[in-house]
Amino acid sequence: MSNIHSVLLKPDKCKGCTNCVKNCPTNAIRVHQGQAKIKEEYCIDCGECIRSCEYHAKYGATDDLADLKEYKYPVALVPPSFYGQFTQDINPAKVMLALKDIGFFQIWDVALGAEALTQVTKEYIRDNDRTLISSSCPGVVRLIQLLYPELLGYLAPFKSPVEIVAQRAREFIKAELGAKDEEIGIFFITPCPAKMTTVNNPLGMEESYLDRAIAVDTIYHELIKRVDNLDDCCKIEGYDIPYFGISWASGGGEADLLEGISTVSVAGIHNVMSVLEELDRGDLAHIQYFEMVACQPGCVGGVFNVKNPFLAEFNIHNLVKKGINLVEQDLNKYDMNLQNSFKEKSIASLDDDLIVAMAKLTKLEKEIEILPGLDCAACGAPDCRTLAEDIINGLASRTDCIFILRQQVADLADEMATLAHALPPVMKRNKEESDDDED
Amino acid sequence: MQKDEIKQVILDCEVEAGDFSVGGEASSKLKSLLHKLGIPAQTIRKIAIATYELEINIIIHTYGGSLKAEVTPSEIRVIASDKGPGIADLEKAFQPGYSTASQKAREMGFGAGMGLCNIKRYSDELNVETEVGKGTEIEARISLRESGDSNE
Repeated sequence: MSNIHSVLLKPDKCKGCTNCVKNCPTNAIRVHQGQAKIKEEYCIDCGECIRSCEYHAKYGATDDLADLKEYKYPVALVPPSFYGQFTQDINPAKVMLALKDIGFFQIWDVALGAEALTQVTKEYIRDNDRTLISSSCPGVVRLIQLLYPELLGYLAPFKSPVEIVAQRAREFIKAELGAKDEEIGIFFITPCPAKMTTVNNPLGMEESYLDRAIAVDTIYHELIKRVDNLDDCCKIEGYDIPYFGISWASGGGEADLLEGISTVSVAGIHNVMSVLEELDRGDLAHIQYFEMVACQPGCVGGVFNVKNPFLAEFNIHNLVKKGINLVEQDLNKYDMNLQNSFKEKSIASLDDDLIVAMAKLTKLEKEIEILPGLDCAACGAPDCRTLAEDIINGLASRTDCIFILRQQVADLADEMATLAHALPPVMKRNKEESDDDED
Repeated sequence: MQKDEIKQVILDCEVEAGDFSVGGEASSKLKSLLHKLGIPAQTIRKIAIATYELEINIIIHTYGGSLKAEVTPSEIRVIASDKGPGIADLEKAFQPGYSTASQKAREMGFGAGMGLCNIKRYSDELNVETEVGKGTEIEARISLRESGDSNE
């Protein structure tokens, strides 16, 4: 697995089209010599490029089931959205038993952490009278770090449900079995590359409590095979299905649980950006909580999922209908507070020195004036503004623009025609006429 | 040339009266330009809010005007000037909750009477010159010198 990102490119499959370039929310991709290239410092691992690539050239790095062997106690963490991958006849208990059959020592529900976090968040908002943006979607957190650092203060100062449960599972196994840290392998079954990346690059924490992450589409086939062999009405003794937490899988689920709090739910990274722009214009004081997730219509839309996002959402809705109460649990067993605050990751500035940046900005505006403003992306950059920025940073040249190139060719052709007709003074005028006759 | 003499206009645009559909575009543009200049995030937050309020003020209360932003190494100046009608009672205009906004604007969630208060709150210095029948020019200055954090 890459240490920095989990969205990667298969060069042999990339055709050099600019679908991903245009869909990338952070303008992180350029096509150069027929190949898409991701600028690592701009990539937030949201997976939009995987979604928009028709040639399947983008993919997410993943661990696999063979990695279970490396641990004495491999533990699976199941996200709420995973249950959307199954129809009604496959209940969460069945999924858990099938995972055990695959070789996991224990299976933990991330939805339990979601239920716990919901309760703590509700209290925090009431006590502090503050507007919060959910920090549970790592794609959104990284987007804010990169493009909206002025809004970092709004992010909820809590770990994501995945990390909360990972920590709890690890501590539980250590206490109950006297296991050593290195014997425990916490595997997250991830619906998206954004969460995959947090294994090696956690947010607001020094180190993740996760050891590995396996993409849903990597484990799905093995799991389905085993589910088929299980009894239809299987149950697990003492297992309370956290229906409320499972509702986090689809858009609005997280916000709906915050009863008595005014919430707004936004799904889809581009929609998230439009609401962040609104927040930039001032406090939206009448809204107390923003649920923001990078995928549509919520985590069920993660690019590693196998089911159509809207059908998966239907499955989730059917499942959570059965929920009556939150699962009773001792909230003190969880450690939800983040160690660190979320740090700015600003790469937007043209130069560290304001004077130099001001001079560059003038150059940039001039360059934008010169470019046609069609945003066709044929140059390999997503739009003319970005090409202009690449030009002044020495990463591209003006003739990368096909319209400018054509204009220059036309100018050159005109000049050549003029030159061709400009005869050397030693030649006679009538020679020119006879040349014309030959044409 | 001394550093402080460098002055650059980074935004200069017309704002049409009553055109809510583009309200906020100028302040969004200014915000992204300030990011390009590497201005600290919390300073950008203050400028973005003040500029948006200035922009919306022109749309709601005036016959149209313009928004201009100047950068020097020590401060950002945002200047909103309009073609009237001018502010009759400046003291009242600064009172929280006081607004002369139309019913239409209020129905859209604007005109809560916090505009000028907010601009004052988020800027380090505010100058207003107004003349009834002529117009208003508001200059919001936000310092780039590191002297204490915002008053949020």
